[in-house]
Amino acid sequence: MKEKITKLIEHAKQAVAQCEIVSQINDAKVKFLGKNGELTALLKGMKDVPADQKPEIGKFVNHARDVIGELLENKSKELAAKELEAKMKKESLDITLDSGETKRGSLHPCTLVQNQIIDIFTGLGFKIAQGPEIELDFFNFQALNIPKDHPARDMQDTFYVGDEMLLRTHTSPVQVRTMTNQQPPIRIICPGKVYRPDDDATHSPMFQQIEGLVVDEHITLCDLKGILEKFAQELFDENTKTRLRPSYFPFTEPSVEVDVTCSVCHGKGCRICKGTGWIEILGAGIVNPKVLDNCGIDSTKYTGFAFGLGIERIAMIKYGIPDMRILFDNDVRFLKEFK
Amino acid sequence: MKVSLNWLKDFVDINVSLDELCEKLVSAGFEVEEIIEQGKNFRNVKLGKIEQITKHPDADKLQICQINVGLEENVQIVTGANNIKEGDLVPVALHDSLLPTGQVIKKGKLRGVDSFGMLCSGEELMLTEADYAGAGVYGILIMNKEKFPVGTDIVEVLGYDDVILDIGVTANRSDCNSVLGIAREVSTVLKTPLKMPNFEYKVEDFDTKDFVGVEVQNSELCPRYMAEVVKDIKIVPSAELIQKRLKAVGLRPINNIVDITNYVLIEIGQPMHAFDLAFLDDSKIVVRNARDEKIVALDNNEYTLDNSILAICDSNKPCAVAGIMGGSNSCINENTKDIVFESAKFLRDNIRRSSRKLNLRSDSSFRFERGIDFESQAMGMKRALALISQYGYGKIARSWVDEKCVDLSEQTIQVTTDKINSILGIEVPAQTMVDILNSLQIKTTLDGNVLTCVQPSFRDDIENANDLAEEIIRLYGYDHINCTLMDNSHQTIGGKTQAQKNVDILKEIAVAKGYNEILTYSFTSPKAFDVLRMEENDPLRKSVRILNPLGEDMSVMRTTLSYSMLNALAKNYLKSIKSARLFEVSHVYLPTDDMTVQPEERNMLVFGMYGEGADYYAIKSMVEVVAQKFGLNVDYVRANISYMHSGRTADIMVGEKKLGYVGEVHPLVSASLDVKDRMYLCELDLEVLNEVADYSYKFQEIAKYPPVERDIAVVLDESVLAADILRAVEKGGGNMLCDKYIFDIYRNPLAIGQDKKSVAIKLIFRLADRTLTEDEVNGKINRILTKLSQEFGATLR
Repeated sequence: MKEKITKLIEHAKQAVAQCEIVSQINDAKVKFLGKNGELTALLKGMKDVPADQKPEIGKFVNHARDVIGELLENKSKELAAKELEAKMKKESLDITLDSGETKRGSLHPCTLVQNQIIDIFTGLGFKIAQGPEIELDFFNFQALNIPKDHPARDMQDTFYVGDEMLLRTHTSPVQVRTMTNQQPPIRIICPGKVYRPDDDATHSPMFQQIEGLVVDEHITLCDLKGILEKFAQELFDENTKTRLRPSYFPFTEPSVEVDVTCSVCHGKGCRICKGTGWIEILGAGIVNPKVLDNCGIDSTKYTGFAFGLGIERIAMIKYGIPDMRILFDNDVRFLKEFK
Repeated sequence: MKVSLNWLKDFVDINVSLDELCEKLVSAGFEVEEIIEQGKNFRNVKLGKIEQITKHPDADKLQICQINVGLEENVQIVTGANNIKEGDLVPVALHDSLLPTGQVIKKGKLRGVDSFGMLCSGEELMLTEADYAGAGVYGILIMNKEKFPVGTDIVEVLGYDDVILDIGVTANRSDCNSVLGIAREVSTVLKTPLKMPNFEYKVEDFDTKDFVGVEVQNSELCPRYMAEVVKDIKIVPSAELIQKRLKAVGLRPINNIVDITNYVLIEIGQPMHAFDLAFLDDSKIVVRNARDEKIVALDNNEYTLDNSILAICDSNKPCAVAGIMGGSNSCINENTKDIVFESAKFLRDNIRRSSRKLNLRSDSSFRFERGIDFESQAMGMKRALALISQYGYGKIARSWVDEKCVDLSEQTIQVTTDKINSILGIEVPAQTMVDILNSLQIKTTLDGNVLTCVQPSFRDDIENANDLAEEIIRLYGYDHINCTLMDNSHQTIGGKTQAQKNVDILKEIAVAKGYNEILTYSFTSPKAFDVLRMEENDPLRKSVRILNPLGEDMSVMRTTLSYSMLNALAKNYLKSIKSARLFEVSHVYLPTDDMTVQPEERNMLVFGMYGEGADYYAIKSMVEVVAQKFGLNVDYVRANISYMHSGRTADIMVGEKKLGYVGEVHPLVSASLDVKDRMYLCELDLEVLNEVADYSYKFQEIAKYPPVERDIAVVLDESVLAADILRAVEKGGGNMLCDKYIFDIYRNPLAIGQDKKSVAIKLIFRLADRTLTEDEVNGKINRILTKLSQEFGATLR
């Protein structure tokens, strides 16, 4: 009996080893362990086994069932895994093929620059102030210490829409409107569209500015330089240096032009900076006390600084765009270069 | 302002290199825009004498010249020119020479004959008739009058030994629109003394007032008028130095008298004029407002002078537009014998207005517009007379007429050194402040920490502590300024308003959905309204007009973003770009009835698309996403917009408020833009969006009981709108119906009839507190079907 069983196990081992697909395992299971299977058939011979050997043989039969069951189980798992593997292999995709889903669009390079600048200054406690583009002469010029027929008006040719109304030439009127409505401390930046009648490779009749204004106690020219240097380091890179040069704006005194070390050549001199190592990026200065007085802010108590820069110009420097008109061309191929 | 370095050296010693000088000027606030070194672009061009001319053996049109250029042997040059003869003095470009045109001349062979250079024409040397007499002639430049020995470098012959600096003078520094003004700054930055020009002259025994009467009728516009008579003038060309300097700064020499007025203008900054006394009726000068009179100015154009314009007249007629340009009726000519010099101050604003009104500008008007100080009239006059005297051009009256109405009291400013330092944020030593201000001729004394400063007449821009702080720091040096971060001021909270954040959100949605942001001009063509097929009375035709536009196509402020978007789409389409999805956020400008009130500016968002994947529902999906983000319940109402497809356009309503419109562009509009694809537009009013947006979120418990899903399909008329169907379904479904949507529409005239559609609707029922029974659901479905049948005659399919 024992021999038969051992043989059966051997037999089963061979049969299982020969199985190649899961269904063959099932057949083998029926063949060896099924109701009419071979083990069951062997058990029928138990009645002939002497009584004293029955427990031992019984144990051995159970052992045989376990061994064969395990054999089948293991082989079944192995084959299932193989089959799944084969199935997945068959289902293999060209994982490099494009999704065909709508592609992400893009923000205009000017918006990218503007967003970056706004992020820097809102982080420094600046609010964003906005105001009308069709502006009164008073806010655009007179309140900023540029009376009618003043030579400083030559600095900003102007589109007029009426005797006292014009397209703002800078976002400075927003500063005036803020200062007339709010007492210090004031920290604002004013992004927006401005207009001047120029049209060439470096001028557009409409362009975008960001101006900044701080009015508080104890504000100095050193604060202006410090804030603008931090700003330039965020905008370009951390090694950027700034340089102040005297200039003239009617609404600031002292007035300066601010140069930064060229972000392309890092001050060595290249085509972008015309070999000087420096790029002029903005105009700035200490707010003229006359402007504070015009806006109802006590110029004996408060000082302030203001600065302004052109978004298009910064975008041209940052992205190496040679002609300002490209920015207004709205060619999809150009727009898609940005993200 | 162009400044000759040689001229500058008359008034200040320059003890540094040119580069250093320019650097110092820049750091003092005077940008050096260009440095023009005269003669720099010439190399190896000499004065030569043609010793012998022979025919070229093989070319009729060529001649072989033997040229003496001061070397032991003559130089052989072949030329095609025929205006030369033996003995002529000519400019010779030798082997390896450089001409200002950039041309390099090398030796070569012309038809087999060696030629060791080139004879030059005026044009090849970039000379005009004004630079050198005869330079305009076609052919070789003949220089037979030259006294220089042969072989002299042409740069020396032409007198090109100067450097011209083009200096940017800011609008506040009117005192620096002159050589003397720049010299004053240079003397300050170089710490070398300023030398004043020669003002000495010899007078004769007569008085100006006996030969000309001066009457200033408008002393407000003309606060000072000086006149001086010079008699027995001989009109000749100016001395060489004067001609050379005028040419160097771009002025054409005319004659000795006119040149002196220009010379003084450049040197002292005082505009002057000279009248021919013989042409002044009754020998009178009357300074008065014009009376709609005509004058032919020195530019030979006729101008009509209205009452706002100040004129210099005789007893009958205007003889000059004050401060701007003289009249041709009294100008200096070759027969002029006696003259009157005018040196006046005219009101800045009036000259600026008049010059713009007449569209007439001059070196004189430029300086008056910037401002001329009260002391410069006498200085200019004296300098002009000194030049007359120096060159012996005429007899000078011993006294002048000086009509003035001036307050010449000194302005003093008192300020503490602490105040200056509090503006700068650094400690500048008090004595340094005093020294700097004094070097600028701002007379300054120090008492304790108080600076007392006297404003010089030429610096009326210095009025307060900030002005003084600027003078001090620009000479002390901006490199002394440190970097600090507002350490002593208040903390503030920065950030964006909700409306500003909304723009960011919308742009991010647009980009995620594949749209590219565009940037277009705020002004557009008035023809836009016609392209958009707007009726004459369309409110959007009412727009703000620019009075001085760059062109008609940029002359009105837009009232809709649609036209710019359509143009951007069309522009891409016409470049054969297959599809585009674009968006823009910008203002439109809606004028009010009262034109003195600022127009309303509304922030708008426009989407536009054509090409692959573009259809009504694709663009409508943008509205759906926006509505979802901002918590809006949106209704779509069939819209009638002149530039949109009448069957495929909806107004987007949030309650009673119109948020915008969405749809397909009118085929005629596309056609007029040459676009053959269908284009789609959506314009949203962000002011409305900001008003109706609902930012609140509230937790809602997730339903515990299972939903019951049913599908129904009903047949109804094609014209019934989905929104109306769903509204009826909702009414029928009551509170048990928790969701519903249309998932299929089927059209087949044979199966379901002409102009009919079968609409398949998903119905999802659920209650929060218990499981629904089959009967309950069936009851609701019957009610829904009844509603659909009652409202639209719908039948169950």
